Amino acid sequence: MAGVVSVQNLRKRYRRRDPWAVDGVTFDLQAGQAFGLLGPNGAGKTSVVKMIAGLLRPDTGTVSLFGSDPGNAVARKDLGFSPEDPDFPKFLRASEVLDYFASLLGLDQAERRRRIPETLAFAGLEGERRQIRQYSKGMKQRLGIAQAILGRPKLLILDEPTADLDPMGRRDVRALIERLKASGVAILLNSHLLSEVELVCDTVAILARGRVLKEGAMAEVVPEGSNLEDVFVRLVEANQPQRDHLPSFISDTTP
Amino acid sequence: MNGSGAVARYTLLELSRRRILLVFFIIGAIGIIALGGGLKVLYQVAASNPQSFASGSVDAATFNHFLELLFVSYVFQALAIFALLIAYAIGMTAIYHDLDSGSAVSIFSKPISRLAFAAGKILAAIVGLIVIVGLLALEARAVMFLFGGGLENALTGQLLAVVANAIVVMLIVLSVSTWINNILAAVVTFIYYNVVTGIIATVHMLADGGLIGNAAVRNVFDVLYWLVPHQLVSSAIRDLAKAQIEIAGGATSNQALASVPAPSGAGDIAWWGFTVLAFAGLVYYAVRRRQV
Repeated sequence: MAGVVSVQNLRKRYRRRDPWAVDGVTFDLQAGQAFGLLGPNGAGKTSVVKMIAGLLRPDTGTVSLFGSDPGNAVARKDLGFSPEDPDFPKFLRASEVLDYFASLLGLDQAERRRRIPETLAFAGLEGERRQIRQYSKGMKQRLGIAQAILGRPKLLILDEPTADLDPMGRRDVRALIERLKASGVAILLNSHLLSEVELVCDTVAILARGRVLKEGAMAEVVPEGSNLEDVFVRLVEANQPQRDHLPSFISDTTP
Repeated sequence: MNGSGAVARYTLLELSRRRILLVFFIIGAIGIIALGGGLKVLYQVAASNPQSFASGSVDAATFNHFLELLFVSYVFQALAIFALLIAYAIGMTAIYHDLDSGSAVSIFSKPISRLAFAAGKILAAIVGLIVIVGLLALEARAVMFLFGGGLENALTGQLLAVVANAIVVMLIVLSVSTWINNILAAVVTFIYYNVVTGIIATVHMLADGGLIGNAAVRNVFDVLYWLVPHQLVSSAIRDLAKAQIEIAGGATSNQALASVPAPSGAGDIAWWGFTVLAFAGLVYYAVRRRQV
């Protein structure tokens, strides 16, 4: 199988005095593979995917996207990226955003006319005339996924793709991932919805405080009779300081 | 550069839907009509009164010409102010909103280079500025016919200077707003361009006109002058001042015109070109360095 992404010993911190946001992450992603990147809030998942998408520069380590540096525009030609909390130029409409992004992808007029209405229909945004500034978070999330698949990517990165979606939207995204995976597209999925990750991913890496705690095929990471959530909670809790789960003014039963 | 056309096209579409630019345009357009109409009414009132021109010190035609000069001089000032406001409004939003809202995350993950993105944004900002200020100037030109016309070329020359100056301001705001908050960027630009550069240019002009005798001061400001952007000035400003002095019955002298900016020469225009390239380069550098 062809290597789509290769991440080697990636490290990143945002300020010199900050702890490493990403600390020595290494993994590979092949065509047709669905890779789940899991971790608690602040684990460094989004930083990793942003470095793969060429949006952040690593401090040390290397990222290869289709064999090239992701900072090179040509390397991103076959990349579809749906960011966490996506947003778009707020005075444009959904169809204009897709036309804008299709132009950036180099799609010609005929192809744009064909793909944009179908993509809008998939996202449930057909006939939507309002400007983006009037959209709900869920509608922006749908548009985020729509623009990510518009270029028929060979790598689709979904960063918390279902966080703001309703149950039907989640089902559609799950079906989309299954379909793309079957057609050989590599998927990199960041999600807190572990049941979903367990359903669609064949490989997972669990991160905490920038480091990979465990990585492997789903069957290896999740033993028989257990589930991903149990494994995740056990691993993460063993690797971060224990916290009191409730503030004392709530847990205190005396009036 | 692949993609810069799309960036420019959709940035222009966004600019055309921004209320702040529409508000500036409407205020400018109404202001120009009100100014022209008001001065014309003043002339009509004066002309309808048989005693107005009876003393013989000024005739109706001279008074009309004086009003036209007054109108053109106000229009020059109004265009300069609105061009600056529009430059700030475009500069503060064209790139900053994409970065601040997170749109840049989706855009930069597409196969577009930062150079193409910066070029598209600069192109859209310049075209937007030219269109809005150009429409105001067209309106001013139409209003000038109320006074019989004749000063249209002066308006064209000054319009070019106003737009050229506004482009520099806009590029400074664009680049600074890529690093910091856009309101802060506007304040920094205002202090740099309108205050610091303004003071340096004014002192340099006074020194050039012989109003500052101290050689050391003159030399220092000569050097400083070539370190900051030069505001371009057309010959219309001085011509207008001359005509107004003459019409008021005074004799024009170098002393009287010393505080009126001289028309920009080839050196100033070349320096403007260099400044534009330098600030456009700074916009690109800021966009390139920016992590989203």
